[in-house]
Amino acid sequence: MKIEFAPLEGKSPQFYLFMLVLFGVAGAGLFATYLMYTQGLHITGMSNRVPWGISIVMLIYYIGLSAGSLVLSAMSALFGRKEFKPFARIAALLAMLLLVGALLSMILDWGKPDRVFVPFMYFNFISMFSINGILYSTYIAICFVYLLAMFAEKEKLVGVIALIAVIWAVGVHSGTGAIFGFVSRELYESPLLPPSFITAALSSGTALMIILLQLLFRYTERPFDQRYVKELSRLLAVFILVVAYFLFVENSFRAYNIGHREAASFFLFGGSHSMVFWIGLIGMGIVVPALILFTPSTKNSIKMINIAAILHVIGVLCERYIIVIPGQLHPADILPNMNVESVALDGAIVSYSISFLEVVQALGVAAIVAIAFMLGLRIFAMLPTQALIEDETS
Amino acid sequence: MKKQLDRREFVKIGGLVTAGTAVGLGLPLLPLYRASATGEVADLSGKRWGMVIDVSKCRDGCTACVDACREENNVAHHDDPRFDIHWIRKAKVSRRVENAREISMPLLCNHCDDPPCALVCPVQATYKRKDGIVIVDKHRCIGCRYCLIACPYNMRMFNFKSNHEWHNETYPVRAHGVSESCHFCHHRLDQGMEPACVEACRKANQGAIVFGDLNDSSSEVSKIVADGRARALREDLGTHPKVFYVGL
Repeated sequence: MKIEFAPLEGKSPQFYLFMLVLFGVAGAGLFATYLMYTQGLHITGMSNRVPWGISIVMLIYYIGLSAGSLVLSAMSALFGRKEFKPFARIAALLAMLLLVGALLSMILDWGKPDRVFVPFMYFNFISMFSINGILYSTYIAICFVYLLAMFAEKEKLVGVIALIAVIWAVGVHSGTGAIFGFVSRELYESPLLPPSFITAALSSGTALMIILLQLLFRYTERPFDQRYVKELSRLLAVFILVVAYFLFVENSFRAYNIGHREAASFFLFGGSHSMVFWIGLIGMGIVVPALILFTPSTKNSIKMINIAAILHVIGVLCERYIIVIPGQLHPADILPNMNVESVALDGAIVSYSISFLEVVQALGVAAIVAIAFMLGLRIFAMLPTQALIEDETS
Repeated sequence: MKKQLDRREFVKIGGLVTAGTAVGLGLPLLPLYRASATGEVADLSGKRWGMVIDVSKCRDGCTACVDACREENNVAHHDDPRFDIHWIRKAKVSRRVENAREISMPLLCNHCDDPPCALVCPVQATYKRKDGIVIVDKHRCIGCRYCLIACPYNMRMFNFKSNHEWHNETYPVRAHGVSESCHFCHHRLDQGMEPACVEACRKANQGAIVFGDLNDSSSEVSKIVADGRARALREDLGTHPKVFYVGL
């Protein structure tokens, strides 16, 4: 069956209303950024002890979500699952735009976003930020070429680029994990972070695709086979188990290793971030979705799968939060076995509260990504007119 | 044939013009070069600056070094521990045992020989100079704050607010959005002086801070370090700090 693609109609009042809301949120986000840029970052919840806030959480969250698009495109181009081919174009578009969102979160978070061209002039090739900057921007370029190849309908080329994209994605996700894992800070330093980042990327990305595909096809009133959801949910179930495994290994290492025990207890039971860990990540992100996706009575229910996917997407956002934040709240061990006290809060556990402006900025970036995605679908023939799995018997 | 000659001639003329322009533009700079060569700036080649702090001589409640640093380098104080900037700060330290003696000591950038802050800086705004000083180019810093994350001593500070305290008019103040930390008063070293904290500590009759050239084995700092009594902070991290402590 030939797959036909058509742009969104985009003439309904709902579409215009949706776009209007998105533009409003994007404008608010940019205004928040303007305030931060002109007044300084002291109007956020960040501080000298907690220099990285929600922007960095969102940066790595976007990077992770883009992995789901790759799963979809790899399914058809690399694993021969031709029934997933209808989604190859939107997947490539979304991967590209999520990377743009990540770069945007990163740049708008700088103290000097007007120096955006400085990194292009002076590279430090051993800085994880530089390495990731190169990886992200080349990945955007690869996705773009991938998209072009698909529009040109060059099957072989598409396969080759899909392979390159998958290999590149391993670099992109590992590099993102390494931003934290390779820094010697007690709750950051971990060689497990790059691989565990990849698995949470795959799981959250797949969950996002499960939700997004259904929404897109429902609101465009195009036929969509629910079996896609079930297929993807099987993958999601496996990915969630791997995420749980990595979390278990990492935390039991910290709890077992005498030198890390104090930090581990702070991480697991030391404050509001522990609630984010237990309720947000473990409860909502892993236990409930895993129960839904493995219990025979619920695993075939589209409604339950959707609940699992939504919970997991939120759960991984919590996971990104606890990668970034608790490692900063816990003090650096400047003098081991000594109590340290100073005006600069050395040796003290500090707190971070998310500021309204940071949230507005993060929503603004999300809205910009959504606007670009909607416009892409509106202008170009990206979305298939129908997505139905052909039965072998027919 | 004719064409080639033309090209050669073009290169010749072009080269002459370029060289002429360069010399013409360069000539006015010559007096500057001469000025620096005639000793207005101290000869600092081959130095490797280091510091030794004797905590037994450091008095609790004395903030001479901190105050001097603030005055000299226009270090911002915003009355908010979240945003205050400290290039050097006093800490109270005690071993985690009962009835532990409380030690008072200053903490400042350790000027690591393998600085993690410079390692992670994506634009090389933070770098280690030949004389070992770790310094930030505030005109290149993009404000990503990775250095604050990477510093295992928590000595990097970020300008969350603009700095308006212009105590020392010969030294610039900083705009918000860039990071900074102690740079051993490199501008004073250039004039043959000691860092402000060292001078202030001596004037306060404490004399707890000794500063000098680690490459010169006869300097006081080298002798104390060679002696084996001095320890740096978290030497296990492999950062090789050049600030040492005696009596910890």
